[in-house]
Amino acid sequence: MKVTVAKRILKDNDMIADKNREIFRDAGLLAVNFISSPGSGKTTLLEKTIAELLPEQKTTVVVGDLQTTRDADRLVPNALDVAQINTGMSCHLYANQVADSLLGLNISEADYVFIENVGNMVCPGEFDLGENVKVVLLSIPEGDDKVAKYPTIFRAADLVLLTKVDLLGILDFDLERVTNDIKKLNSNLEILHISSVKGQGMNEWVSWLKAKRQQNVGAKAKFITE
Amino acid sequence: MHEMSIAVGLMDQVLEIAKVNGLKEIDEIEVETGFLRQVIPEVMQEAFLAVRRETIAQNATLKIVEIAPLSECNICKKQFEPQLNDFLCPECQKADVKVLKGDEIILKSIQGKESK
Repeated sequence: MKVTVAKRILKDNDMIADKNREIFRDAGLLAVNFISSPGSGKTTLLEKTIAELLPEQKTTVVVGDLQTTRDADRLVPNALDVAQINTGMSCHLYANQVADSLLGLNISEADYVFIENVGNMVCPGEFDLGENVKVVLLSIPEGDDKVAKYPTIFRAADLVLLTKVDLLGILDFDLERVTNDIKKLNSNLEILHISSVKGQGMNEWVSWLKAKRQQNVGAKAKFITE
Repeated sequence: MHEMSIAVGLMDQVLEIAKVNGLKEIDEIEVETGFLRQVIPEVMQEAFLAVRRETIAQNATLKIVEIAPLSECNICKKQFEPQLNDFLCPECQKADVKVLKGDEIILKSIQGKESK
């Protein structure tokens, strides 16, 4: 017997992701999925961003790593709440892992949920977590050929953050090459330059986040009145 | 690299559908993979060998059909075939597109023997 199916693989994950999105919408917050290779500066960026948003806006964090709670420990001081997911041998987060974490987290008081995905530029792109936006980080030390090598994740991004830009001019990095490669994938994709350590670009980045959140919460208010 | 994650998702679905349809043994599974998803058939086959073990699909074959990409320019509506690294519209020279084909990974069909 032949059974014709025509169903998306990973549909189960996507259904849970949609539920997560509803939870985020009902809580009136912006959920951000941070994706990059290991060592691009995700945790440092999150530390600085969470501190920058305080005291007006609070952030809950979900951190995915193969092992250890080191990243979560670093984020505890300023975050409203932090959940660490150890993925073991899995190189990305699943929507159900995020859903389980949300049960134990304080999200009703949060303005943002930051999801720090496992450092990897391939698999996290396949798995929707229910986030409102995907932010992809590319650090200067990684080199200027990353966009061409991992086009799929950059095509899926809502924002590209070029991190560690204080190293431009010290390391050999062709900025124009990266910009051109991104423009060939999505001409409308915004690229922000940032140095978490030196503070460069921090204002633009925080403004971008606040504007995105405003759009989202605005959409929620509209939804309720309708 | 992501083929294993896809294979795991695939097998979950296959076993569930087989159960619903009363299949006791699966002979063939057909999937369509969009070119833009960069599923490498050889790697996918290896991942499939690992996930089919000790299931009713342990002797099943996996048929992979690659779907060519097609996108439509949001500005001038021209349809064209994008490359992995290049979504520029040949008319507008802007990459502002809707992907019509090539972004999907779909379980098409399952063939197997029914329980008596």
